[in-house]
Amino acid sequence: MPEPTSAMQDTEILSRISALKIQARNLVEGLLSGQHRSRHKGSSVEFAEYKDYSPGDEIRHIDWKVVGKTDKYHVKQFEQSTNLKCHILLDASGSMGYVSPRPESRAMNKMDYARVLAAALSYLLLKQFDAVGLILFNDAALTHIPPRSKPSHFQHILHGIAEAEPRGITRIGQTVNSIIERLPNRSLLIVISDLLAKEDDVLKNLRLVCARGIEAILFHVLHPDEALFPFEGDIAFDSLEDDPPVGLDAAEIREAYQNLIREQIDFYRKNCPTLGVDYVFMDTASPLEQALSYYLLKRKSLGKR
Amino acid sequence: MNLAFLSPLYLLGLLGVAAPVLMHLLTRRQQTRVKFSAVYLLLQSQKRSIKRSRPNRLLLLALRCLAIAFFSLALANPIFSLGKGEDLFASAPASNVIVMDDSYSMGARSKTASLHGEAVSALTTTIKKMPDNSEFSLVFASAPSRIAQGWTSDRDVVLNLLKVSQPSYATTQIGKAVTQAVELLGTSSKKIKRIFILTDLQKNGWDKEDFPENAAGARDYDVRVADFSGLRDGENRAAVENLDVAQEFLSTSRTLRVKTRVRSLAPGKPADRLSISLWIDGKKQGEGFVNLPPGGAAEKEFSLPYLGSDPAEGRVEIQDDALPADNVRHFFDQPDQKIKTLIVDGDPRTVAHQSETFYLERALNPFSSSLSDIDLTISTLAELPRYNLLNFSAVALCNVRALPLQYERELEAFVLRGGALFISLGDQVDPKFYNEKLGNLLPVRIESLNQVGLEDSPFRLKLQPSEHPVLKIFSLNTLKEMENIRFNSLYSVEPREGRKFDVPMRFENGYPAAVEANVGKGKTVLFVSSIDRDWNDFPIQPTFVPWIQRWVKYSARSLESIARQDILVGEPFVWENAGEGGYAQSPGGKISPLNKNSMGEVRFEDTMRPGTYRLYRASAMTSGKAPGPPPQAVFQLPPGAEPAGGFTVNIDTRESAPEKIGEKEIKDRLAGMRVAVAAPPIVEETASPGKNFPLTAPLFLLVALMFFCEGWLVRRE
Repeated sequence: MPEPTSAMQDTEILSRISALKIQARNLVEGLLSGQHRSRHKGSSVEFAEYKDYSPGDEIRHIDWKVVGKTDKYHVKQFEQSTNLKCHILLDASGSMGYVSPRPESRAMNKMDYARVLAAALSYLLLKQFDAVGLILFNDAALTHIPPRSKPSHFQHILHGIAEAEPRGITRIGQTVNSIIERLPNRSLLIVISDLLAKEDDVLKNLRLVCARGIEAILFHVLHPDEALFPFEGDIAFDSLEDDPPVGLDAAEIREAYQNLIREQIDFYRKNCPTLGVDYVFMDTASPLEQALSYYLLKRKSLGKR
Repeated sequence: MNLAFLSPLYLLGLLGVAAPVLMHLLTRRQQTRVKFSAVYLLLQSQKRSIKRSRPNRLLLLALRCLAIAFFSLALANPIFSLGKGEDLFASAPASNVIVMDDSYSMGARSKTASLHGEAVSALTTTIKKMPDNSEFSLVFASAPSRIAQGWTSDRDVVLNLLKVSQPSYATTQIGKAVTQAVELLGTSSKKIKRIFILTDLQKNGWDKEDFPENAAGARDYDVRVADFSGLRDGENRAAVENLDVAQEFLSTSRTLRVKTRVRSLAPGKPADRLSISLWIDGKKQGEGFVNLPPGGAAEKEFSLPYLGSDPAEGRVEIQDDALPADNVRHFFDQPDQKIKTLIVDGDPRTVAHQSETFYLERALNPFSSSLSDIDLTISTLAELPRYNLLNFSAVALCNVRALPLQYERELEAFVLRGGALFISLGDQVDPKFYNEKLGNLLPVRIESLNQVGLEDSPFRLKLQPSEHPVLKIFSLNTLKEMENIRFNSLYSVEPREGRKFDVPMRFENGYPAAVEANVGKGKTVLFVSSIDRDWNDFPIQPTFVPWIQRWVKYSARSLESIARQDILVGEPFVWENAGEGGYAQSPGGKISPLNKNSMGEVRFEDTMRPGTYRLYRASAMTSGKAPGPPPQAVFQLPPGAEPAGGFTVNIDTRESAPEKIGEKEIKDRLAGMRVAVAAPPIVEETASPGKNFPLTAPLFLLVALMFFCEGWLVRRE
């Protein structure tokens, strides 16, 4: 017989799962549906382009009509439709557990926001028959759900997401590095994190990912309190990770703090595109739909389908 | 190490530090705790904001607290001591003897005034800080050391004495001054007993025998020696060490020869072209340069014609340096007075050179000019009664057989009154007459004539270097020359019973050659041979002229005319033959009557100032009677006072020597006492031993700095 606390946890997780499911479904249904298309050419029904025949090409792909008209051998090429394998890396470090102490704050909690985002993306991908996996991590991978494309896999994903409890310190780069071997080629890696790590070279490891032809999307999720630091007075700040507590006058360092956060965001915003990583900054006060649609539109406009 | 506070009450102001702390606590907002995700960024932000020197309220609080604390500490007048210091200004009553070295070396220049001035200033500061119940006494340590003020608790008395004190021209007598200080402390009932010695540590005057030996109770005494020599501004390069003045006769003029010796006081450094000048009666009469080797001496001689008959008062000065007192040396020259001399020729001849007085006349007045000091009158025995002996200072009887009847009484009165009688013998002399009639004047009897044959060896003098006023000028070689003089004939003499006389010259066989005696106020001199060439060849010897001149001058009391140069500051001047007394006029114009003391001497002791002191005799002319003793005090010279010469007082140059006494030697001299030797600022500020630093000024600076930083931080905010 399970202990009451564990039962309660299960209950909470279950309710969290159902809420996530509803949220994700609502979120995705409202958005434009689309298919992922592979950039790799192959056998498919969708004509892509002609190319000159060269020895080795299959003769059955020669367009005889064109040969008849032009007396030149052209081979038809088709776009290959594949099932995308996607890994969602969800940061479950302590810093993700930030809850605003300010009663006037209306923004979602960071972890909840990330959970919904991960669930929505999973749903979106599964709906397109893509395989979705989930990795929860803090300084190392905590939970690894391998990618599957079955609709029922969504339930697994949701379970994994709901189980995520923020704790420990953040080491994104180390985590990415540890799983990079396990990622299949031509897959998609979605990282959802607050990127609040002291000494972590995220981009360095993402560069390795991109180098393997894996698409990477980096969702940078911050609570407005973390971006704007709207506190007042003498406050003793206890770290959600392993930093020592610090007491200070919030107003005195607000400007310096905002500058640091701004510098961090600008750093990722500037450097991610150069690596081929999509960087999306998301403030938990902004609606998720807006963030998702903005992202999908952006990807569309960049021609990445 | 020690930290003492002169005004410890102000330390209560440290409580004021609580004010900014309270204000800070009251105005501080309640601290809340918040769990935050990016604490490491907060830490970075904090560092960044510190780097930008943004105001930190804790820093401001610290600055304000420090400013108040420093201000309180500064008001409390803290003294930091490196040595094992003692709070001099504690409230415990103390007896303090101040031994002030006021020797002339303390008159050396400092940056502000003189070392003495610095010492007075330092002492004034120290005394003012002493607790109210302290008592003080003051001893001046220049020779002779003296207690200027006995015990007093009124510090103003001591301060006023210090204020008017000046460095003297005397040397140091620290030892005797310390002895006096110990004696003073012995009479004090206070528990804490201190001796402050303010000096330049000049070695002169620290003679061990002057210091007290095993003074009872002196073991508890604190002796604080403040060395002011470090404040000397510049170098004492040289000192005029010695000065000789002599008159010399050239063919037609008289020359004043001033010979001076300058000593270098800088051991390692030569002094080239040190200017030196001669001043006579306020006018510069000569100038030159001397080159001094390191630590050595150089001589410089000035010669100048001197025609006047007035006394010359002058000085030799060298180029100015840090110690002006030893750059000057004074002299006084009294031209010899005219000595009116009556010469009685007992053997006159028609051929001049055969006369008895031929050589004597030429020896006493060699140039037949008015420059000579001796005014001669030649008389024969027959002419003698025509002359009034009152008009003469000296009478010379040369080969006189016998005096006119009753004339010996006149001659006796003449000598008793102060006249000089010189008698030379010869073939005309009747010993019987001399022995019978001149018994009161001659202390010896003329016995027999001693003659040598042509083949026999003559009589010769046997002379030794002598301090006799006549003979002292003759060097050993000159005396040897004189011993070669051949005497063929001479009278032997026998002393009269009960008569005092002196025999300054003798022959080889022990016979007296000259016999000298004081008779009344006068003097008689008997030369047992002839004064011409009949009995000896002395008159043609080069030594004859100075010999006979000096005898005449000496017997006429003119040889030692009062023109002494050898008196040092503080030494008494004894006026011989002063009669009843006279007057001395100091360089500053002060007139002191000189009277005979209980010993029958006329002494003048107030020679504390270098320069020329003039002497005057009371005149008999104005009163019409013999001069009596002068009054006890006068403000001006009585009318008709006659100049009687003078003397100069000069400093003792031992005080100028650069040698300093070391701390070890001082402790040896003051064995048994707790001795601390320190530089003067310590005395000035704290008068405690060891290295002491007053912290008041630095603390006030720190207060200013705190306020400046606080203002700057607030302004940035």
